[in-house]
Amino acid sequence: MTLEFKRWIIAILGGLFLVSLILVQALETSRRRQEAGLTTPQVNVPAASKECVDCHAEGNPGIVEHWRGSTHAEKGVACIDCHQAEKGDADGFEHYGAHMATVVTPLDCARCHPAENEEFAKSHHAAAGNILASLDNFLAETVEGSRIPFSPHSPTVGRQVDMVDGMASAASGCQQCHGSKVALRTTDGGKITMDDLKPDAKGKPTNIALLETVLRDPEDGRPLYDPASWPNTGIGRLNLDGSRGSCSACHSRHDFSPRRARQPENCGKCHLGPDHPQKEIYDESKHGVAYRDLRDQLNLDAKDWVLGRDYAAAPTCATCHMSGNTRNGGRVTHDPGERISWTNRPPVSLVMDTDADHAVVKEVDPEKRRALVADTAKDKRDRMQQVCEHCHSPDYVGSFYTQYDNLVILYNEKFAKPGQAIMGALLDNGLRTKTEFDEEVEWTWYFLWHHEGRRARHGASMMAPDYTHWHGMFEVADRFYMQLIPQAREVAAKAAAAGQVEAAAKVDAVIDGILSRPEHAWFKEGAEDQSAQIREQMEKRYGQGAPVQP
Amino acid sequence: MNSLGSWLGQRLPLDKLDLRELTNEPVPYHLKRWWFALGGTPAYLFVVQIVTGILLAFYYQPAPSTAYNSVRYITEEASYGWYIRSMHKWGATLMIAAVVLHQMRVYFTGAYRKPREINWMVGMLLLICTLMIGFTGYSLVFEQLSYWGATVGANIADAVPVVGGLAKRMLLGGDRYNANTLARFYIIHAAVLPVTLAALVATHIAIIRLQGVSEMQFKDEDPSRPRSFNFFPDHLYTELIMGLALMILLSALATIAPAEMGPPADPLSTPEVIKPEWFFYVAFRWLKLFSGSAAVLSMGAVVALMFGWPFIDAFIRRRSRFQEASVWIGILGVLAILGLTVWEALVAH
Amino acid sequence: MDQQGTETDPHDLDGSRRRFLVGSSRLAMLAGLVAGYGAFGRIAARFLYPAHAEPRQWQFVADLKRLHTGESLRYVAPTGEPVAITRRGNRGDSSDFVALSSTCPHLGCQVHWQAQEDRFFCPCHNGVFDPSGKATAGPPADAGQSLARYPLKVERGLLFIEVPVERVVRGDGRPRAGGRA
Repeated sequence: MTLEFKRWIIAILGGLFLVSLILVQALETSRRRQEAGLTTPQVNVPAASKECVDCHAEGNPGIVEHWRGSTHAEKGVACIDCHQAEKGDADGFEHYGAHMATVVTPLDCARCHPAENEEFAKSHHAAAGNILASLDNFLAETVEGSRIPFSPHSPTVGRQVDMVDGMASAASGCQQCHGSKVALRTTDGGKITMDDLKPDAKGKPTNIALLETVLRDPEDGRPLYDPASWPNTGIGRLNLDGSRGSCSACHSRHDFSPRRARQPENCGKCHLGPDHPQKEIYDESKHGVAYRDLRDQLNLDAKDWVLGRDYAAAPTCATCHMSGNTRNGGRVTHDPGERISWTNRPPVSLVMDTDADHAVVKEVDPEKRRALVADTAKDKRDRMQQVCEHCHSPDYVGSFYTQYDNLVILYNEKFAKPGQAIMGALLDNGLRTKTEFDEEVEWTWYFLWHHEGRRARHGASMMAPDYTHWHGMFEVADRFYMQLIPQAREVAAKAAAAGQVEAAAKVDAVIDGILSRPEHAWFKEGAEDQSAQIREQMEKRYGQGAPVQP
Repeated sequence: MNSLGSWLGQRLPLDKLDLRELTNEPVPYHLKRWWFALGGTPAYLFVVQIVTGILLAFYYQPAPSTAYNSVRYITEEASYGWYIRSMHKWGATLMIAAVVLHQMRVYFTGAYRKPREINWMVGMLLLICTLMIGFTGYSLVFEQLSYWGATVGANIADAVPVVGGLAKRMLLGGDRYNANTLARFYIIHAAVLPVTLAALVATHIAIIRLQGVSEMQFKDEDPSRPRSFNFFPDHLYTELIMGLALMILLSALATIAPAEMGPPADPLSTPEVIKPEWFFYVAFRWLKLFSGSAAVLSMGAVVALMFGWPFIDAFIRRRSRFQEASVWIGILGVLAILGLTVWEALVAH
Repeated sequence: MDQQGTETDPHDLDGSRRRFLVGSSRLAMLAGLVAGYGAFGRIAARFLYPAHAEPRQWQFVADLKRLHTGESLRYVAPTGEPVAITRRGNRGDSSDFVALSSTCPHLGCQVHWQAQEDRFFCPCHNGVFDPSGKATAGPPADAGQSLARYPLKVERGLLFIEVPVERVVRGDGRPRAGGRA
């Protein structure tokens, strides 16, 4: 090997070494780029909240750790920014040099999120607390519980029970979803709520005299809440400052994660169960199946989470009812009612033509109706269809809505309106009392529309066949023919026997009128001809010996 | 230029001719065969280890609470940190491999025989020094395996009769792995052993220079060929080629199989499978075959045998007719080492 | 490993072509060595240079509604550095505001706002700055130094500031990530 040859080899190897280092550099660059996308943002404790964090990290590390993972923490929004109170606030107190309040309300959140608050305030969610004064609440407060405390049935071993709180079912049940009326305890054993404080538009109490009566912790001066009213994150909570709702119902404290609010499990805290199993319906639907499978591809941490841009793998509750999409310019709404065209909540489904206050317009006269309606059901449906069309063709979407409409109308016309007519006839003719749930037929009717009827309609609205049919229409029919009609007949018969002949006849006339309609004719006359037809078809398909229903 | 030369010459009285003679040792012709350059390879890798080691020391923090994190910082955050660390790790692997290959070459060519017995023993010290640097370096990462490797290693030392306990306490700075241990390992790895190694390398080379490299004559060679060639520039070029080839190899290894982070050391939970670095597999398997002091003592005996081999070999050659016994013993030894290493590599426990 | 490996005596050579070949091979060798080891040296230098610039981040300061024209507030950056933020206009965007470092550019003392004089004052060497942070008297004025300004932005009616931040680390050295770990 000559020296010259060796020199050339050195030159080549030097070049190769350089090439290998260029490769190293390329790797480093791509690593850096990847890292830039992966690194979690730094979290800084703003000076104003530093003391809070230092102390509560010891005492309540869960709160502080949760907050550290939040976008709030990333942007320098900390304890004081939300928990701040002003002098004169009913629930404000001095806490290590800061004037603050325990319960954060939508008015507090609105300091930085005014548009979200405004949308939410108009939504049906914000009105969920209205149930507290409604007949529905009668169930929990009276039927299940008792409006006045009562003495125990017998002693409880190992525990001194003086009085039974009859509102416990309402407090732990209804109000955890619907929201409580937040109350402060007073020195004389009473309670102060927003009704007493009469807060102004800014949330400041106008009935200032009451503030003196608030019961406070003798050690640190914090106002004491009525334990039945707080803790509570019900979505329609009635707060001391007059605001309605709780943002943490969906954006759980203390990380206020949009990621969590985007997932169906979040809605499933309340939207489940026998009366409105939306979460289970979703789980059964193709949408829910796709969600479970493709959850990893949903980009749930995205900043805006726009359907069609940030993700398209599967829809969640939020996708269709709230989140932005490429067809609506990415606009999120905090009023989930904006895209719902039927309300399936009442016994008879109503078209969601809403007025300026977002209430369903019930006016019958077309002229007056047009004047009242601020947002039509068609507008709402168009908004929803914008979402659908990210994955489905217009024909497909339109035909789906035809299927859905037909089911709702079938339920309305065949069972809901007749049921309502029968219940009305019983009431009008004095054959049942105004008090709900004290007569069997009232329970029957409640099951029919509030549980089974909603299941059928919700099942059809979100593509869960089993809920539409077996848990829905099948049970509605069973309830209608096998319980409601016989029970109403029985009430009428008993009344007739007791001398209320005219009233009984009127009720019977209503029932007869309903059953004589063609859709119910099979029940009255039997459906022998239909059965014969079915048997004939079966034999054609399966041959002789096909099973025959007795 | 001339004035600068004379200015320097007055202050650094070096004679150019002396310098040339000093550096331009005639190199025996057989070094043209590449496997005779294996002695230069570990020396070059030692320089690589010093350079990358100094770089890593800029970020490494030798305390139990910070060590793992600083290595993680180097690997994940510092620019090119993963590359420098991987170079260091692969450099160590190649260095140990090169030392062993060099020793095998010396052994099988009988180059340790009179008058080179002393340099063989210096070489043995170099081998032990290199292995110890490898051992202490691996411990510095402070991940699970390196922590438990260090613990096991220290307890092996403990099994040596009489001086074992002392050795263990000196190594760990206490009865067990404690807050001071990592600092000890660090200083031993980064200062004590490298300086020792450098001194030994200097001695090794000085002895070679004093005695001259042992010369080989191969059967297929023309007897009239020159007996030697110039160190400069011819052999230097060879070394440069070898150096660049090593750098390319190291870079390739560092990018293909970069050093990673295992789980951080947890003194309360020993991993299911613990293994030392590959070059200790032999010893590790040996320790599993025998128990306690017997294993340690027998290992010591093997090392002592290797140290004294030039004299034992001379004795055998003088007293018996088996002139090539060393070759067969060497083959058996290599097979045994390979066998134990492969065995340890293949099984979990 | 051929037999002609020894250096050919240069005296045997003549002809410029031969000399050129020797020269170019030397040059190429040198270039190769410099390129290879030079690149390695560059990587080593980059390794030693700090990997991250001083981290800065946008932080929430206040609701615009709560800071009226003419008012100022003292914001404390997560590093502990105080920042004087003054509202000087009513357009509702970031140009209304000036966020000045409270650290005097002269020798690092803390300046304070004197409302009646409409100026920032540094008590150490009587440095005076106008509301925009420009030095008007004292040593900083002589040196032409101004108070450092921080970038500001307004989003949805909220004022944000970009300030240096400290890295909050926990035991294993990773930045706190809480729920998003």
